[in-house]
Amino acid sequence: MNFLARLWDAIVGELRVGDIGEAMRDAIAVREAFHFSLLGIRIVVADSVVVTWGVMVLLAIAAFFLGRRLKEIPKGMQIAVEGLVDGVVSVCANAMDRKLAERTAPYVGTIGLFIAFSNLTSILKIPPPAKNPAFAIALALATIFYVIATGIRMVGLKGFWQSLLYPNKALLPFKLLDYMIKPISLSLRLFGNVFGAFILMEFIYIVVPAVIPGVLGLWFDIADGILQGLIFAYLTVIYIGEILENAHEAQARAKLQIRRRT
Amino acid sequence: MDTGLIALGAGLAIAIAAGGAGLGIGLAAGKAFEATARQPELAGRIQTLLFTAIVFIEATAIYALVVSLLLIFAFR
Repeated sequence: MNFLARLWDAIVGELRVGDIGEAMRDAIAVREAFHFSLLGIRIVVADSVVVTWGVMVLLAIAAFFLGRRLKEIPKGMQIAVEGLVDGVVSVCANAMDRKLAERTAPYVGTIGLFIAFSNLTSILKIPPPAKNPAFAIALALATIFYVIATGIRMVGLKGFWQSLLYPNKALLPFKLLDYMIKPISLSLRLFGNVFGAFILMEFIYIVVPAVIPGVLGLWFDIADGILQGLIFAYLTVIYIGEILENAHEAQARAKLQIRRRT
Repeated sequence: MDTGLIALGAGLAIAIAAGGAGLGIGLAAGKAFEATARQPELAGRIQTLLFTAIVFIEATAIYALVVSLLLIFAFR
């Protein structure tokens, strides 16, 4: 018993509950990277924005070097990249036919990779940008606008309107409400998952700084971050597929009614 | 505000939601296994559906997590 108590003291040391709270608050706070003034307005750039710039530059460089000198018969890295692109297209093909899937794949793949790599920064002990709610909200808003725009591009404005009215006209307000809830749900899911994992990891780093963070980090830093990117991309596809399906069903029903009348 | 009550509220918020989400995911997974056992040839499709369902069920627990984090860090 005495040995256990000494071991506990050795691991935890002088830590008090108040210290943990103080350290956690320090870890959670959104830091200012730098600020500049534009037209007399002070614009603060948070640290997570700088991290996303880093991720963007990394992905852009990777895309430039991997997309260069493509050969008819793939070799080396080209095989891996083609596999990735094919994976993204087949995820999109779950909800729509192949030709449309190839048109949505660029956005879906970009957003999935971007979120996955932004979350992976926590391996390097850089706070992941998704712990700032602004990151999640911005991506969710971009995605919902993309979903609506793509839906309209694929089925036309009339088809989109029909998809809003599809099972019943009385559902229109709820369908409109749905388009407001979707970005909230998307952003809260991303923010909540990453923030929760980040806080848990910070807590473990403070309380037990050895061995255990390495084991738990495999899930919370690596697998969970990639999974969130995958889920975000997948939900984008599902939302687009929902519009397409509703529009097609509505058009099929309209055709059936015309045939019945004649 | 009373710190103890806030801590209690944050704990309760995530506890109830986690219970509900766990129950929901358990039910969904159980039914998915049953369906896969009945029709193993549809395993891929069922798995996709299961993941979709789990994402939506899990969202409720995540909302509760956000609420309890807000309680802890915003209303202290």
